[in-house]
Amino acid sequence: MGTLTYRGFGFQYPDAAHDALSEIDLVLEAGDLALVVGASGSGKSTLLRAANGIVPHSSGGRCTGMVEVSGRSTRSHVPRQLTDVVGFVQQDPEAQFVVDHVERDIVFSLENLGRPEHEMRRRVEEVLDALAIAHLRDRAPNTLSGGERQRVAIAGALASSPSVLVLDEPTSQLDPQGADDVFAALTRLNTELGTTVVVAEHRLDRVAPLADRAIMMADGRITDFGAPGGVLADYPGAPPVVRLGHLFGWNPRPLTVKHARALIAHTELPAAPPVVLPAPGAALVEARGLDVVLGGRPVLRAVDIDIRQGDVVALLGRNGAGKTTLLRVLAGLTDARRGSVTRSGRVAYVPQDPNALLYAPTVRHELRATLRLLGRPGGESAIDAMLAAHGLGEYGDRHPRTLSGGERQRLAVAAVAIGGAEVLALDEPTRGMDGPSRAALERMLRAHTAAGGGAVLATHDVELAARVATRVVVLGAGEVVAAGEAREVLSGSLFAPQMLRVAPPFLTYEEIEEAVAP
Amino acid sequence: MNVESRLHSLTFSVWAFGAAVCIYAAPNAAYVTVVLLAAILVVEVHGRDAPLARSFPLVVGMAAAFGLLRVVLTVLTTHGIDRAVFTFPFDVTMPRFLGGFTLGGTVEESVLLRALAETYPIVVFIAVFAAWSAVVSHAELLRYVPRAFHELGLSVTIAVAFVPTTLHRIRAVGEAELARTGGVRRRGRWLRTALPVLETGLEQAISLSESMDARGYGHREPSPAERRAGWLAFLGVAALGGGLVALVSQADAPAAALVVFGAVTLVVGAATASRAITRTRYRPRRVLPADWVVMAICALAPAVVTAVALGTDVALVWQPARLGRPPLNLAVVAGLTALVAPALFPPRAVPVLVGTDADRPVTHVGDEPVGEAAWAR
Repeated sequence: MGTLTYRGFGFQYPDAAHDALSEIDLVLEAGDLALVVGASGSGKSTLLRAANGIVPHSSGGRCTGMVEVSGRSTRSHVPRQLTDVVGFVQQDPEAQFVVDHVERDIVFSLENLGRPEHEMRRRVEEVLDALAIAHLRDRAPNTLSGGERQRVAIAGALASSPSVLVLDEPTSQLDPQGADDVFAALTRLNTELGTTVVVAEHRLDRVAPLADRAIMMADGRITDFGAPGGVLADYPGAPPVVRLGHLFGWNPRPLTVKHARALIAHTELPAAPPVVLPAPGAALVEARGLDVVLGGRPVLRAVDIDIRQGDVVALLGRNGAGKTTLLRVLAGLTDARRGSVTRSGRVAYVPQDPNALLYAPTVRHELRATLRLLGRPGGESAIDAMLAAHGLGEYGDRHPRTLSGGERQRLAVAAVAIGGAEVLALDEPTRGMDGPSRAALERMLRAHTAAGGGAVLATHDVELAARVATRVVVLGAGEVVAAGEAREVLSGSLFAPQMLRVAPPFLTYEEIEEAVAP
Repeated sequence: MNVESRLHSLTFSVWAFGAAVCIYAAPNAAYVTVVLLAAILVVEVHGRDAPLARSFPLVVGMAAAFGLLRVVLTVLTTHGIDRAVFTFPFDVTMPRFLGGFTLGGTVEESVLLRALAETYPIVVFIAVFAAWSAVVSHAELLRYVPRAFHELGLSVTIAVAFVPTTLHRIRAVGEAELARTGGVRRRGRWLRTALPVLETGLEQAISLSESMDARGYGHREPSPAERRAGWLAFLGVAALGGGLVALVSQADAPAAALVVFGAVTLVVGAATASRAITRTRYRPRRVLPADWVVMAICALAPAVVTAVALGTDVALVWQPARLGRPPLNLAVVAGLTALVAPALFPPRAVPVLVGTDADRPVTHVGDEPVGEAAWAR
């Protein structure tokens, strides 16, 4: 079967003023790989959670219309009665592991369904092979890398042989390699086993070429549905190659670097404008010879790094390369075994998980709390400006926990930035952020550095690094393996930004747009 | 290369039970120290790469802090027994309705030493429990719980797993608070820490429950037999409650009848539910000869302690009035060293297994299958 149908579906969370979803009419056929895109808070997660009945059975709330998955209505079936037809993978895989052993966690759903042991054995082996995780079967989930964890979570959802697999931002916490592994597994399930896959994502450069259809959401409604190239054409968060296609009027829009390169070969590009690098300012943080050992394992080795006025330094590297540890050492949260850190100003740090930071009853109070902690009460105009700069102006009176993941991330950055620390250290600041939010973050960083501040960010988002970083430092196994001006470092990378691979020496879509503009 | 414990979780449970019995029977500080060292050694050798194992030192530290608090409260509130070694410049006598005890004043030598001697076994008892949690696979143990209690056992397992996660979260939130201002500290930190810890914990609990629901937990409607079992369990608990009330009221005969009736009803209810539930078990791990050997050695420790306690007049309890060396019996110490037995069978590396069953390597040590072959097929 593998069909997923929404008919006139609408949903409102308990005590919410507005509908989270309205008039959703959507039919996904068996074997589709559908991509759900839209701004943070547009209703993507609610749409996905309605597919297996978590909305409304677990969430509560009021719904209209119907959702049917493989012929079963979610009105008359609770999530546990849909286990054998739909698998659900959450954004944070850690939140869904029940057992501390990979193989036994995978078999959890089969045991619940009371399947005979020989069937369980066969099915477990099949999903271990399908996701290429047989070598992880005896490991504890918490010892796995992000990509491995996500694949184990997918295996857990697949064990009961569902014909529909639903994934909510499965790669938001992964490095490029981990994300590639997950998408390769999803493609295999879709093409070889015919599993219908529905995935919500913000990082579209990898997943867009794989999708058969894209669903654009805004304000709880589906605003566009069709081939990904067409649906993403005007979307601000679209991959740079799609935006390039839009700029040059290519039809169909390219979704891959290969396609874009073929098209640009027949397009006359203006010369790239000369790059003017700002003069380096005074050093705000100087770190020399940092060695860090955590749990008996060396995490950083002989790392030197400077953050100067006007600098945005992007730290790149795979999961576990030492990026977060370096940020924590610069912020004074972790001690180095050897080496020195000299700070000539405050270094404020935004952790990967924004939930660790948020405790106030409203979004506005969250920013006020930072000012109060710093002994600077008041500052309402600064709060208004900061909320507006991060696109949170209309959420001032909302409880932070009612915001979506991307919105919380923006709030955490705003709550730290308002303190006016000279150096901002941001750990994966674009995790779960949509295109407009990323643009707002970039504007804030530019304003911060223009005012004499500096910033250092650990990120997997190479497009963000290309747009905003003045310098890039690549870490590998705790050592600096490359450092220098962003264009120079990124141009030699396998994971270079799309524009550098399509139309070198242009680094970003914005540079091409500027050069083409009359 | 993966690492696999050579010992079954039931073996570790027998070890922990034996250690606990030894602490109870021989709370002498010297003997308890031997048990503590054995626990540390077992965790060192068998500690799993899991949050519970990593939190072992933290739990022991918390137990020590709790013990210290107990000692302080005891010496601050117990007076007039022995010579003072220190006198606080204040003393407050509580009103009669609050117990009428005096807080402060003298700290007396024998009170201090006895409080320490009584608290130390409690701390080690908690350390043994933490060690058991650090080495055991709760999921493996869950397979041996009667089916009627499986869902309850799973809930307990998840609740236990939340302890280290919460401790980790408290640290993360504390750091985030400091990082937010770039190092500036303010008062009222506990509230700013408690709220995000509680809220994030609640969110994670909801995510986990949604995930369990989506993966079929509680999939079936209860059968008539399970409903009957539920009523029997209710009746059993009610009878036990009634028995307790009767016991407090000194109605011994009705109390005994109610307790027996309640216990029998509970057992019948559990058996009825276990028969009614069709839940299947996936590859329950066998108890191998090595496990029996370790269990037998570990059982020696409480056996020796009990034998010494029954057969001689050796003091297994030490309640010092003056600072000195606790009495030491070498036979008891030798018996207690049996508790290091699990450390003699360290985990081993197992080959990474890829492919189908037929491709799988089966390894043997002597006649005993190891690795994957040790699992029931």
